[in-house]
Amino acid sequence: MHEKTSSPSSSPSPSPPTAPPESEGGREYAVDLHDVRKSYKGKVHALRGIEMKAQRGEIFGLLGPNGAGKSTLVKIMLTVVRPTRARGTILGRPIGHQATLRRVGYLPEKHRFPIYQTGRQAIEFVGAMSQVDAKTCRNKADELLDLVGMADWGDKKVSTYSKGMLQRVGIAAAMVNDPDLVVLDEPTDGVDPVGRKDIRDVLVKIRDRGACVFLNSHLLSELEMVCDRVAILVQGEVAAQGTIEELTSASRRYEITIAGSPPDWTDRNGLSLTSLPGQLAGTSTLVLPTAEADLIQDILDQLRRENRTIVSLRPVRESLEDLFMRYVHDPETGRAKTPGASKRKITRAGDAS
Amino acid sequence: MRQTMAIFVDAYRELNHRRLFWITLMLSGIVVAAFAAMGNDKEGLTIFHWSIPFPFLSSNFIPTADFYKFIFAELGVGFWLGWIATIIALISTASIFPDFVDKGSIDLMLSKPIGRVRLFLTKFLTGLMFAGLQVTVFTLASFLVIGLRGGDWEPWLFIAIPLVLVFYSYLFSMQAVVGLLTGSVIASIISVFLFWFLIFLVQTGDGATLAWRVTNEITSERMELRFEEQKGRIADLTDIVVATSIVAERGDESVIAELAEFEAELVMKENRLETSRMELEEEMERMVLSQSINDWFHLANTFLPKTSETISLLERLLTKHAGLVTPEPQDDDMAERFGEMVGRQDFEERYNAELDESHGPIWIIGTSLGFEAVILAFGVWRFRRRDF
Repeated sequence: MHEKTSSPSSSPSPSPPTAPPESEGGREYAVDLHDVRKSYKGKVHALRGIEMKAQRGEIFGLLGPNGAGKSTLVKIMLTVVRPTRARGTILGRPIGHQATLRRVGYLPEKHRFPIYQTGRQAIEFVGAMSQVDAKTCRNKADELLDLVGMADWGDKKVSTYSKGMLQRVGIAAAMVNDPDLVVLDEPTDGVDPVGRKDIRDVLVKIRDRGACVFLNSHLLSELEMVCDRVAILVQGEVAAQGTIEELTSASRRYEITIAGSPPDWTDRNGLSLTSLPGQLAGTSTLVLPTAEADLIQDILDQLRRENRTIVSLRPVRESLEDLFMRYVHDPETGRAKTPGASKRKITRAGDAS
Repeated sequence: MRQTMAIFVDAYRELNHRRLFWITLMLSGIVVAAFAAMGNDKEGLTIFHWSIPFPFLSSNFIPTADFYKFIFAELGVGFWLGWIATIIALISTASIFPDFVDKGSIDLMLSKPIGRVRLFLTKFLTGLMFAGLQVTVFTLASFLVIGLRGGDWEPWLFIAIPLVLVFYSYLFSMQAVVGLLTGSVIASIISVFLFWFLIFLVQTGDGATLAWRVTNEITSERMELRFEEQKGRIADLTDIVVATSIVAERGDESVIAELAEFEAELVMKENRLETSRMELEEEMERMVLSQSINDWFHLANTFLPKTSETISLLERLLTKHAGLVTPEPQDDDMAERFGEMVGRQDFEERYNAELDESHGPIWIIGTSLGFEAVILAFGVWRFRRRDF
């Protein structure tokens, strides 16, 4: 794996070109963050040393409870907030490199277009601010309004738009500069189910074009449907990061529901099983902690030999919501971790705790 | 350049959207129309075809072209642009910075490849566009009215555009920075009007104490002159008394009686001189006090923007370069100032000389822009360091 990180940089400054860092698969890292920290007045630690990577050509989901630091992290990536400390790159350039922002699209949470703009003007204005020439802006505005289903509304004032329409135009505006990285903060907020589906389709199109979509959302089911990889942020730290498959692999199991009471044996060929009362009356559920179908064949054979009726057999894995809830709960107390930025003192590697 | 143009075009759309911009422009049109409807003839002031006897404004006293320039400088700029249009403009532009730093709006702007310093200053300049468009339209229309009605195509009128714009920028810089810091439209409006009132008080204080100082200087000089005259008269009388007393030693009764009269007059004059000396001392003390108070006001005024004086500069420049005529005071016209009777012309000459010396155009514009630069530098510093 070839990683390349920039020198520490916390303020926008020109820097010499650096070779884009590549991931294991040879794809460039669109986001490659190391030790990103943000403290307010030295007391409130919003981010506590974030390590995060998102590749081009993938949809990356950032999850976390309220106040976990998701928006702060996104704003640091986009120079809206100055980090206390940050290393790493955005599209191969140090965080804060101003020219790189030309290749980034952004939809802020609860974004607000000026009420005197039309949808088309809003898109063209964002394009101009990203240094896209006027002619391209005009053409892109037409194309994107069509893409987000707002072609008939483009020349109407944004003050006449519904929340969902504003989100659609916001997404179009985030794409006007053909970005290599699109950062969307709660893009489906206030959007109806049909609109959400449309937005998901748009996100997939952006990804398929080779860009990285960095998605910040509370809607876990939405993220599960579109994200290739996710990171869970809890109290300013990355609690977990990877593909949904990777993160849930430990929880993968088979559940066999049989009629009657559970067998008196508890393991077969080294695979132990747990018995639970079945959901249906007179049934029992056997939980097998493996994702390998081969390993359960012996158990099925044994059950048949004992003339037991197999009611159902299903592979089970944690949903993203289960995974999320697992990380945001304190394993010791079983309670949800305190929302908001943490005042807990930062301990660094090598520090005596 | 593309970004700067986009911000300006967007600012134009914003202005276009604001009703107050068009209301102000419409009112400007009415003011210019009223301006065009006025004129002067041998009788006095004319409005359309009505003539109002007003010798002070008759064409015998002030030529028609100068009449229009006078109205333009005094009412058009001094009253309309310098007060009413500025108040409307400050209310109209008060939301520019609070809207700009509003969450959901500023995030998007800061995520674009544009430096914060440039973004802040460009936004500031777009705010000046409101005043710039208003004053340009008004001055152009006034130029046409003076040309068409007065027959004098005076290019120096256009000096009003930069002067009014600079004047407006002093106030708008304060409004912009308060808007940036508080994010509140109400706070921006209240603070800028309080600030304007404060600098108005300081300028008025500076002007009033300068007038007081000049009056005291004139009075003390006059008293000093009178004192010296009195001393001279006493010296003459003393010589007479000495000469008379030598003659009186011969025993001439009439000379002795005359000597007694001279001596009595001398005592009276010496008493009067003593009174004058005490009055002179009091006047000198008053003069020193007025100078000291004026120095403090002037110092405070130096550090603050000079709104009224910037507008007054227009009149001074038009007088100098465009032949603007203002009524001349009578030579023997006395006026009571601060309890003292002083010659009006003497006072005006001394006062204007002091103004030229300590309140020159470079001092007015330079120190005001210096203040504005400090305020904007503070705004830029905060904007650069702030997390949104």
